[in-house]
Amino acid sequence: MDFVLTQLSGFGGAFYALVADPLTYAYLITSVFLGITFGALPGLTATLAVTILTGFFGNKIPLDYSLIALLGAYVGAIYGGSYPSILLNIPGTAASAATAMDGYPLAKEGRGGEALGLTTTASFIGTLIGTIALLVFVWVLLLLSKNIASPEKALLALFGILLSGTLMSEDLVVKGWIAGLIGLAMAMVGLDPLLSEPRYTFGWSYMLSGFQVVPVLMGAFAVPQIIEGMRHLQVGKMTQVKGRILPNFKSVKRYMPTIARSGVIGTGVGALPGVGEDVAGWVSYGVGKTVSKEGEKFGKGSLEGLLSSETANNACIGGALIPLLVLGIPGSPPAAALMGAFKINNIIPGPTIDPDIILRVVAIMILASFVMFIMGLFTARVFMKILQIPQVVFLPIVMVLTTIGSFSVGGGINDLYLMLGVGFVAYFMNLLKFPIAPLVIGVILGGLFDETFRRSLLISGGDIFVFASRPVASVLLLLNIALIMSQFPLVKRAFGRVFRKVV
Amino acid sequence: MQNETTPEDLVVLRTRDFWGALVLITLSAFFLWRTFDIPLWGGNRAGVASTSWYNSAAIVPLGIFSALLILSFVLLSIAIKAGGAKHALSAVGIGWNRAEALRFTTIGIILFFYVAGLVPRVDFVACSGLLITALIFGFYKGRSERMILAAFVVALAGAYAFFTHLPQAQWRAHDDDVVTLILWAALTVWVMMKVKGDRMLRVVPVLAVLAPLILVCAMAFGFRQNVPNRSGLIFSQIEYHYYVTFRPLWRS
Repeated sequence: MDFVLTQLSGFGGAFYALVADPLTYAYLITSVFLGITFGALPGLTATLAVTILTGFFGNKIPLDYSLIALLGAYVGAIYGGSYPSILLNIPGTAASAATAMDGYPLAKEGRGGEALGLTTTASFIGTLIGTIALLVFVWVLLLLSKNIASPEKALLALFGILLSGTLMSEDLVVKGWIAGLIGLAMAMVGLDPLLSEPRYTFGWSYMLSGFQVVPVLMGAFAVPQIIEGMRHLQVGKMTQVKGRILPNFKSVKRYMPTIARSGVIGTGVGALPGVGEDVAGWVSYGVGKTVSKEGEKFGKGSLEGLLSSETANNACIGGALIPLLVLGIPGSPPAAALMGAFKINNIIPGPTIDPDIILRVVAIMILASFVMFIMGLFTARVFMKILQIPQVVFLPIVMVLTTIGSFSVGGGINDLYLMLGVGFVAYFMNLLKFPIAPLVIGVILGGLFDETFRRSLLISGGDIFVFASRPVASVLLLLNIALIMSQFPLVKRAFGRVFRKVV
Repeated sequence: MQNETTPEDLVVLRTRDFWGALVLITLSAFFLWRTFDIPLWGGNRAGVASTSWYNSAAIVPLGIFSALLILSFVLLSIAIKAGGAKHALSAVGIGWNRAEALRFTTIGIILFFYVAGLVPRVDFVACSGLLITALIFGFYKGRSERMILAAFVVALAGAYAFFTHLPQAQWRAHDDDVVTLILWAALTVWVMMKVKGDRMLRVVPVLAVLAPLILVCAMAFGFRQNVPNRSGLIFSQIEYHYYVTFRPLWRS
């Protein structure tokens, strides 16, 4: 009980400090606005918003303000994706692809205002559910994570990369794993963490410090998006929204079980390493369609369908921060960008993180969700106007932002070459349907995996059974093996047969 | 997730996978070979003599590149089984699209010369203004002749800066700034001539001047961060007047 009270008072203190600081509002309003704008413009994503702001704000202002800017943009961008989904039938972000299924038919029926009002409310409640889950589970997991040593950390990092590769693959799972391995390989460049042995530096002194996270993030997430987005697209005819955009509390009350269920699903999916808001939206939509009494109406303008995806993708944010803060493993691609911001501020997320930072993150998330809610209701028409700007006009400015952000973090031209190189590779990987998120997670977790894997071997005198010598390590080892085995055709067929028999 | 891939798309994808797998096999084999440069079975590592394999800095990369090699072969076999090898040498097989290739090539040229040629050597406001003008004008309507013109102008400015001032010691020279400014102005005039009542193109010059100007000033004076090419023609003047003319006004 004392522990809970201490945490609550700590959270209260962090929240009060945040609310009482006028600068908070300057950063929060700007970043949520930018986030919604990025989300609303098809072609610009939440990951891109957080990545660019990492370069721009990452280490230029105190960490508290930097977190406000990044989390505000994250929350805003996931919500902002619903605008083009509902009004143009084009998802603003991958996270809101499921929203278009019911949002657009609703708008065509002349219920666009109602749909926007409901998505604003659902996103707000979803963010709060995810944040509360973050506040509760992060402490439980932090207590558990005190028992995590090098073998567990190595296996967790590997599990994060494999799981992200498995779930983020649009085509073959093997492509996701290859992307993760490329990321891991990139993390091997430079001096090794235990013996300072130079690896793959090719005599270039810049390579001794390894690949910097921010240029890799910018290259992987921003450059392919700029290349892909620079094409002539006729902006579709926007569905007219009549009347005021207000939350329909009667509908919210009626669909509260759906909102609560979707919030829990979103948080749960977000907590899986490397799996983002798009998966959360679709999983929640799929579950909603299966369990709902009006499942057959899904895809034809169902409010329940709309709420299922929109609540889940925002709840996913809080979920994605749980593994990031507790284990140092990003729960989603934008969380990987956040990890980059932590890294350039010399903060190592994981069991040793300062608990005050977690409380501040929770306080920022709550305040950001309120700002998003208010902006969503009162400035929706501004975002509808922004929606009509072609992305060809926005993306060149994004390129300039990316360049100056990437340059100023490391302070070198070499970082720009790295950004461009990674960007071209990532573009071709996108073309071949290799997911990019596992690559970035591989780069971020590569150092941790290398260090903890070798340290485990070192302390055990080269005994590989050290990875099965402790209960948590054994479970993680089994999970890794099961994940790999699950993709073997023989195992897949066997499981399929068993599943058919059971059903 | 929703995934709508037609059988034709799948054949194209597997043909591309065939080539992708070959590239990956080559790269992983190359890096595996390079990994053996790192002492594995004993030797002197960072001044410490050791004979244990688990001390080696090569052990994790060895595992990574071996796994990458195996998975690349798996991808290759999937691609071959799905008919990827059969169509590997045909343009239709790999899904060659002339318009798309032109679009990517011109963007690639613009980005390459901007990052490798212009940003290190030319004033940031000038080169970013040129980039914004070229990208919006070149790709707004998706017309190939505009893409080629935009890429040509940026490549010309970038190549001049790159080849006339290759070593870092010469990056402070200003003749490349002037060349870039002239090309930017010429392209802007051309854009204005082609506007024909298009409101979006009319705002290009305003965007091209304001966006980099605000960004570079915010970064340099707001966040007090390093910005590319501080000695650039325009930025050096801004910096001088900020510290000499304006700052004393509020400092005193």
